[in-house]
Amino acid sequence: MKTTPPPVTQQTRSSLSFNPDIGVIGDFRGSYISKGQKNFDLYLNETEVSLQATVDPYARADFFLSFGRDPETGKYGVEVEEGYLTTLSLPARLQLKAGRFRSAVGRVNTVHPHALPFIDMPNAYVNYFGEEGLKDEGLSLSWLLPTKAFYQELLFQVTSGYSESPAFARSEGNRLLYVGHLKNFFTLNDDNTLELGLTGISGPNDSARVSNMGVVDITYKWKPVKLNTYHSLTWQSEFYFNHQNLMDNYSMSSFGMYSFIQYQLAKRWFLTGKYDYAQKPFDKTIKENAFSLTAGWYATEFSKLEFETKTTDDNIDKRFYQAWLRWIFVIGAHGAHQY
Amino acid sequence: MKKISILSLFFFCISFFSFADTIKIVTTTSDMKSIAEFVGGNKVSVTSIATGYQNPHFVDPKPSYIISLTKANLFVTVGLDLETGWSPQLLSSSRNTKIQKGSSGYVDASEGVNLLQVPTAANRAEGDIHIYGNPHYWLDPLNGKIIARNIANGLERVDPSNKSFYEANLVSFNNKIDLKLKEWQGKMAAYKGSKIIAYHNEWVYFETRFGLQIVDFMEPKPGIPPTPSQLVKVIKEVTANKIKVIISSPYFTTSSSDVVSKQTGVKELTMATSVGAFDSVKDYFSLFDYNIDNLITALK
Repeated sequence: MKTTPPPVTQQTRSSLSFNPDIGVIGDFRGSYISKGQKNFDLYLNETEVSLQATVDPYARADFFLSFGRDPETGKYGVEVEEGYLTTLSLPARLQLKAGRFRSAVGRVNTVHPHALPFIDMPNAYVNYFGEEGLKDEGLSLSWLLPTKAFYQELLFQVTSGYSESPAFARSEGNRLLYVGHLKNFFTLNDDNTLELGLTGISGPNDSARVSNMGVVDITYKWKPVKLNTYHSLTWQSEFYFNHQNLMDNYSMSSFGMYSFIQYQLAKRWFLTGKYDYAQKPFDKTIKENAFSLTAGWYATEFSKLEFETKTTDDNIDKRFYQAWLRWIFVIGAHGAHQY
Repeated sequence: MKKISILSLFFFCISFFSFADTIKIVTTTSDMKSIAEFVGGNKVSVTSIATGYQNPHFVDPKPSYIISLTKANLFVTVGLDLETGWSPQLLSSSRNTKIQKGSSGYVDASEGVNLLQVPTAANRAEGDIHIYGNPHYWLDPLNGKIIARNIANGLERVDPSNKSFYEANLVSFNNKIDLKLKEWQGKMAAYKGSKIIAYHNEWVYFETRFGLQIVDFMEPKPGIPPTPSQLVKVIKEVTANKIKVIISSPYFTTSSSDVVSKQTGVKELTMATSVGAFDSVKDYFSLFDYNIDNLITALK
């Protein structure tokens, strides 16, 4: 009987090259809308190329290049969706990010759209930040608080305002965009978690004045540890409070929110119901109410197929309906998603 | 009286400082935790991120895990991309430079393991394949010795003053493995060559060590849930080979093997893939005790 272990030899467990991890994500879509001239469409919405690697003992770098279609012209363009450096060795539980990145606003803004459990972005989110969301160029400092009972992270970001969003614009003067975010994560027990986030944003708007925003996000998750690949539930809501200074002695406040519940029916099947409420930032008397339902079939970790229907009411136009089909597929390296 | 209180204060201080001085180890799985406890003894305090009844491929990277990682002196990973979906993200969020890959506090427990099922090509058409080889190597008790050696090396890097203590623990762990392996192989001798079906391809090291023969899997490809055609195939194989048992893991549903069992009368057995899978599986040794005793009962 052989009881001695085989000789301990050093084995190479990573490919000996300095190439970064490369991944390509395709996002193919079909869409329907009940109003207007063109009701049906089929298109490759986005091709995202990710390049990620450690730079040196002090930092790592992440690049996400997006080849997207302009919905107006139908032409493809390339954009640096994100490109940033993250420090790995700052003292005092600090981490610094520099470059272009998704701003630390709520929950939806920091997630790449292909990873969301629905296809359209929440109405209120689009009204304030646009379809592409708030992403900007600058610095982000994060501090992990020494709280022992639960996870607490404080982020402070200063960016130049390049992000073309309805609520914020690049200042012709020296005004910068400031974002502060406090993330609180509570483990209720092995199967249940709760996250509460508070965000404050202040920055220049296109009236050359300042807009201020407060965002509250609440996420409850039930994911039984033992059979976590079969059943789970996520209830996530975000509330947006916006105050825009538009002229001297004239400002506008508005409010918007979304709330969704995602339930995992089986290993590969997910159902997501979402409610949207949004006041238009420029005229809060215009109110949108929308309901949507998304069914997702997650074939593997590397591809998923989703179908969403949505009903939208506002107090100007008559009710309209939308539907989308989305096929997400990944080749190469695929980074982990946030919890 | 005064003497006693001074003495007790002295012992209190000793116990306080020895507690304060413990090396904090965070392991990805409970098997690594159990082995680290054998090697580290009372000089270490160990926590595991994954529980023993959880699928180690799909652990959710909850931010709360980061709290223990920020203070860890040693991080032990199974490696071979087993935890690729969650541990790198937790590690880089920990801001703890001592335990990053390449640092002295980072232990890849797979170093030196003789790997099985190393693919010749990386092709995801084959399902969830692992490009470095099958990562479930801790299910061969002899690989437990290699894991223990790697953990001891890590401990000696971060705490060289206790080297002889760790080496002594390592020797007694290895001796116990040798002793228990004789017992386990003795029990299994009568069942050498037994054909079985497994749910997922995670038993190859166990199968090889104890001379079993896994004929097929419930999953048509690793990570792909059982399909009707796969069930038909398995039912045929069970009948043709007179297979007595389908083995599975706590984190897989039994609905598909229930169908096969109903059709053929084959037994179903949920084995312990990790320490803590069931209440009685308290450490690395009882992991094999549990699996071997239950497997023998099913194969009888």
